[in-house]
Amino acid sequence: MNNFSVLFQKEWRENVRNFKILWIPLVFLLFGITEPLTNYYLPQILNAVGNMPEGTVFPFPEFTPEQIVMATVSQYQFIGMLVITLGFAGIISRERKNGNATFLYVRPISYASYVYSKFSMMCILVIGSIILGLLANLYYTNVLFGSVDIGAFIGFLGTYIVWLLFVVSVVLFSSAAFSTAIASVVSLALVLFFQFIDALLGAYWTISPWKIPMYAGYVLSGSVDKTPFTWSLVITLLLIVLLIFGAVYFAKRNISKTKI
Amino acid sequence: MDLESIPWMLILPFIIIQLILMLVAIIDLTRVSSTNGPKWLWALVIILGNLIGPIIYFIVGRRNE
Repeated sequence: MNNFSVLFQKEWRENVRNFKILWIPLVFLLFGITEPLTNYYLPQILNAVGNMPEGTVFPFPEFTPEQIVMATVSQYQFIGMLVITLGFAGIISRERKNGNATFLYVRPISYASYVYSKFSMMCILVIGSIILGLLANLYYTNVLFGSVDIGAFIGFLGTYIVWLLFVVSVVLFSSAAFSTAIASVVSLALVLFFQFIDALLGAYWTISPWKIPMYAGYVLSGSVDKTPFTWSLVITLLLIVLLIFGAVYFAKRNISKTKI
Repeated sequence: MDLESIPWMLILPFIIIQLILMLVAIIDLTRVSSTNGPKWLWALVIILGNLIGPIIYFIVGRRNE
């Protein structure tokens, strides 16, 4: 355990020095605020810049607060996941490349606590920033559109955090197994491309990790089908555990790839 | 549209966060020894690409070594 706390302090210091601890929360906060603002002021924005002929009337749809929160989540699902996968793709592989890992591997550390320190740092950063962003988003939605049911929101947040844990472990696993470039491609494929496929062909199955964000939306609007939802959660949690064990295994196996 | 009618209480946090993000990117740019590509170009990207600029800089431009 002592091993872990030392390694965790190292992770923390690294992320403070490269400003990740500052810019990732700010990005998610910004996207959380932008979505309700642009949706609310869309008529004025179009009036100001849209070059509309005099007297044009648009039937703007009335958004429910839940729809605004889900629009923000779909923003996070694309740009947010892009930031997470590309920003963290080198989390283990970069250390092998720049020789940092050599300093670590000559000491008697356990690979498990090495991977756990990375995992917990990523979780704090990613989940913390997204919760921050969604709370800001909730506040703005509350002011501009009306209140969201707090119980449903907490259920939605819990479900979405499971998805984020899945993304974090996918990125960690691919970074442990491959070099930075391949790791970013693999994690992008697993997070974004599979989600796209699931959206296209997903009507044929109901249980998959990539459906979790969708189910989170159903939880928010209070119309979730319990059985596939629970099974998706169980399968995703199992996959998370598997991916973390895989990351520990590959971190150990790839010792020979470190640059000295 | 005159300045009075803009709801500053709602817009101001957005502008402030964006400025902080830009400032953080600029401070980081002056502190790192080298970037992928010329530094002045990244300074332009950060300042002109208002929301996306700093994000692209942090992901692509920064050499994490």
